[in-house]
Amino acid sequence: MPREIITLQVGQCGNQIGMEFWKQLCLEHGINKDGILEDFATQGGDRKDVFFYQADDQHYIPRALLIDLEPRVINGIQNSEYRNLYNHENIFVSDHGGGAGNNWASGYHQGKGVEEDIMDMIDREADGSDSLEGFVLCHSIAGGTGSGMGSYLLETLNDRYSKKLVQTYSVFPNQMETSDVVVQPYNSLLTLKRLTLNADCVVVLDNTALNRIAVERLHLSTPTFAQTNSLVSTVMSASTTTLRYPGYMNNDLVGLLASLIPTPRCHFLMTGYTPLTVERQANVIRKTTVLDVMRRLLQTKNIMVSSYARTKEASQAKYISILNIIQGEVDPTQVHESLQRIRERKLVNFIEWGPASIQVALSRKSPYVQTAHRVSGLMLASHTSIRHLFSKCLSQYEKLRKKQAFLDNYRKFPMFADNDLSEFDESRDIIESLVDEYKACESPDYIKWGMEDPNNLLTEEGNAKGTADPKLAI
Amino acid sequence: MEKATSTSCPSTPRWNVDRPFLTGRFHQETKGTSRLADTKGFSMDVFSHGLERPIGYYNAAVQELIVIDDLLSAMVGIEGRYISIRRVRGQEDHISFQVDASMDLAIQELAKRMFPLCKSYLLIDQFVESRSQFKNGLVNHAFAAALKALLLDYQAMVAQLEHQFRLGRLSIQGLWFYCQPVMGSMQALSIVIQKASANNFTGSSVLNLLQSQAKAMAGDNAVRSLLEKMTQCASNAYLSILERWVYEGVIDDPYGEFFIAENKSLQKESLTQDYDAKYWRQRYSLKEGIPSFLANIAGTILTTGKYLNVMRECGHNVQVPASENYKLMIFGSNHHYLECIKAAYDFASGELLNLIKEKYDLMGKLRSIKHYLLLDQGDFLVHFMDIARDELTKKFDEISVEKLQSLLDLALRTTAAAVDPCHEDLTCCVERFSLLKRLSTLKDLEVRTVSDDNDLAEPLNITGLETFSLSYKVEWPLSIVISRKALAKYQLIFRFLFRCKHVDRQLCGAWQVHQGVRALNMRGTAISRSSLICRSMLKFINSLLHYLTFEVLEPNWHAMHNRLQTAKSIDEVIQYHDLFLDKCLRECLLLLPELLKKVERLQSLCLQYAAATQWLISSSISIPKLEEHSKSSRPSRMLTMTTENASVTDSILKFEREFNAELQSLGPILSNSSQAEPYLTHLAQWILGVGHDQ
Repeated sequence: MPREIITLQVGQCGNQIGMEFWKQLCLEHGINKDGILEDFATQGGDRKDVFFYQADDQHYIPRALLIDLEPRVINGIQNSEYRNLYNHENIFVSDHGGGAGNNWASGYHQGKGVEEDIMDMIDREADGSDSLEGFVLCHSIAGGTGSGMGSYLLETLNDRYSKKLVQTYSVFPNQMETSDVVVQPYNSLLTLKRLTLNADCVVVLDNTALNRIAVERLHLSTPTFAQTNSLVSTVMSASTTTLRYPGYMNNDLVGLLASLIPTPRCHFLMTGYTPLTVERQANVIRKTTVLDVMRRLLQTKNIMVSSYARTKEASQAKYISILNIIQGEVDPTQVHESLQRIRERKLVNFIEWGPASIQVALSRKSPYVQTAHRVSGLMLASHTSIRHLFSKCLSQYEKLRKKQAFLDNYRKFPMFADNDLSEFDESRDIIESLVDEYKACESPDYIKWGMEDPNNLLTEEGNAKGTADPKLAI
Repeated sequence: MEKATSTSCPSTPRWNVDRPFLTGRFHQETKGTSRLADTKGFSMDVFSHGLERPIGYYNAAVQELIVIDDLLSAMVGIEGRYISIRRVRGQEDHISFQVDASMDLAIQELAKRMFPLCKSYLLIDQFVESRSQFKNGLVNHAFAAALKALLLDYQAMVAQLEHQFRLGRLSIQGLWFYCQPVMGSMQALSIVIQKASANNFTGSSVLNLLQSQAKAMAGDNAVRSLLEKMTQCASNAYLSILERWVYEGVIDDPYGEFFIAENKSLQKESLTQDYDAKYWRQRYSLKEGIPSFLANIAGTILTTGKYLNVMRECGHNVQVPASENYKLMIFGSNHHYLECIKAAYDFASGELLNLIKEKYDLMGKLRSIKHYLLLDQGDFLVHFMDIARDELTKKFDEISVEKLQSLLDLALRTTAAAVDPCHEDLTCCVERFSLLKRLSTLKDLEVRTVSDDNDLAEPLNITGLETFSLSYKVEWPLSIVISRKALAKYQLIFRFLFRCKHVDRQLCGAWQVHQGVRALNMRGTAISRSSLICRSMLKFINSLLHYLTFEVLEPNWHAMHNRLQTAKSIDEVIQYHDLFLDKCLRECLLLLPELLKKVERLQSLCLQYAAATQWLISSSISIPKLEEHSKSSRPSRMLTMTTENASVTDSILKFEREFNAELQSLGPILSNSSQAEPYLTHLAQWILGVGHDQ
């Protein structure tokens, strides 16, 4: 059972989307609510063992840890029809059950307190796998537990499992409506620092965009959490199809991520999915060809990250890399034609400092899930416009910070004790440099970015050949 | 006449020759033996009937009666009193008739007209006797039997004439009149048999002769229909051989007359080793001497029986359903037999195709080969490369194939391949040569020749990573389609893919090393430069893999798969499968050594870089790393890389330079060759990116 992936669901949001994710995986692999393989699902060809392992009685158990500081959501799961699916040893709810009060510092501090318990659980899971490939963390960056405790876990994992990959599915807060969490900008900023420094890949799930998609694309007037979460689970399951349904390429997480992520820090991915449906919704059945799917994936309205960029900036934004995972019955000859068409129409604006193109992974669709459309597609892309999301976070933080608002809650915890707010400043600097780096990616000279070393060792060399080097055109 | 016939042919018993009374030749023979004393060797049969007076002694009316009597004898090959038969010894068909010179000239003239008929009878009779011997084969036997039947009719006619003669109703003119109709036929037949015996024809050549003769006599209706009837009788035996072949796949041909030869020395098991698939192509072959009426369909006949044989070899006793309609007969020119053969062919090929596809699950096997050798289900390889890393990095002669095999089995059992029952047929092998070298040894692949041969000198440190290959056990009868040669082609593709995968893996490792130093601020440092090279390399190898799989293998496979669904015979299946492999080989660049060498060079640069990454990174951050540990809870962003380590920067830039130069030099090669090989444009688009304008 090689290349296993352990999922950590932290906090309210993390557990909710995690729950949806496992529901979707069970459905796709024909595993019932109790973890038992359905009679019709024996034909195989899929890799259940990446995300599940089998108990002595052959029933499938998710390689998942359910972690929260307050019991509400996890109790909900334990009372739901999926209660027998999870390994009960893998559920951690803080003893006092009081949560983190939407305070990053509280979550982080409590994380430190229960580190031993949680690392025991993680070690046990890791020991149970043949060759662990990495961890997936589901959380939100706005609240207390997912962001604070999630951050702590990211740091710890990075320390303890430095050779393993860490991928996160991070839900960014809805910026359109006034949140009940007023300190959300603080939490986001502090979490973003860990996401930048301690994760190998962050799949950004922007609640603003998810809501917009639910309203505009799915015509739901007031989308519920369940509905937006089902969008998330669709994206999560689709982005793991190449691991679960092996194909020519991208059969391991590292291969998948390495082709997408250009530089160590620019590891934030945007996603797009089409065609989108929500349960029990009679969607208009559309014609789905490979070209249709690829074309729709490039439309901003299908992308699950909102663009805060102004028009001028938006036109500067460039794709660094794109991977389209196409599922369903696809005539492989169409792939090339579609790529050719997209190329001719110049539908994609790629970076100029290196070779870039749309990569395609054809993947099987689960035979147990019936869908009305023949082909569906997921786009995983590294796009420079994501910097605007971070800029937005930064500006909201600045506003709050200027007023010195709500900082007392943070000062209660050791990290910020004695009015030491350097952590905030440091995080701010790191996010700023991240934004800068993305911005630099938009320029053709990115290769020489920041090369201002005193010896001029690099720049000279770089100049000598920089003219011919980056574009690789003849 | 003494042809070296097959040994299986029983010999004619001695008594048949020793006792001429059984054969009807006693008359001539006895005289012959009595004349043995004649030293000249000529049968100078000059009125040796003792007391007889010359015929001129009688008046014309009596002469006529005597001559009629003599002629009636001569017509069945017996010498009369005044008509003698002369033959040259050793030359059986040199027969001449002589009459007593004193005979009335008018009668003499009339009698002489009768002689060709007599001669024909003698020849035919002689032919019948000689051809009835075993060694002459079934066609001759049948022909002789038909002739014998004809001769019986003829003899009946002679008997009737004799009866008329006894009643005194037959004049010599009457005899001439009655003989008229048979004369032409007998003569035509005698011409045929003369030709046949002169050339010692057997089997199909007899049939051909008869047919061509019938065609040549097209103007003479009676003769033509007689010859056609003879053809039909003679071919009956032949057709029953044919029938058994096309309906059962059995060669029942004791006299070696049939036009299909079986080479028993080729065994079906040889298909799994024999690179040229001789068994399939040469086990049964067409011989010389195809009957002209079958010439056009001979190929079909050969394959029909071949297919039936395959099925029999598989343990299925398939027989073409026989019905009256399917009785093979030659009814003149209505070509019924062609339809029969066609029907048999359709049946046999349909059955065999069905058998191979359904019972032996050809598509399943091909799919499974695609999973493993074309890496369509590549997850097992990821795991295999994980666990076999140590073994594969050994030198090729130190590798334990058994160990690799057990690791492979382990990898297969624990990945998606586990549910595929065919995965057990997968075996490991370690070859002696690198891919390029191996390609140059396969001459028949039309690999474009390379001028510089010294390049092919094998590096001494070649490891398992360069020589590892998978193989697949293919059993009869699937080995017909997936022959040794086909497998070899699959292996070539696999080795190329494996190489790419290995490079990809190493680069992913390098990528992870870069990820490890993410916490440091490396803006403007050698590391950030290095991470971009890593990206370029990854992009290159990924694009190459994308091209190979989604541009070449998958679409071609798809096309082949569709064609196989509609294929009508196993030969079509073989053809489509071979086409697929050849196309893949070509489009995978394996037939373009020049390009392949470039790619190989790029790959080895990638590998060198990947191997150096760990050192490059760690030596450029060694000092900050210590600091980082000292205050691990708060990695300070103030740590900057030392750029003093100039050698690190130098080597990173050197990698960048070399790689980019190599990649750029690929451009012109691709665009130059893309005229002849259009798929190279696709490759160029993949590797050189969107900005690349053709």
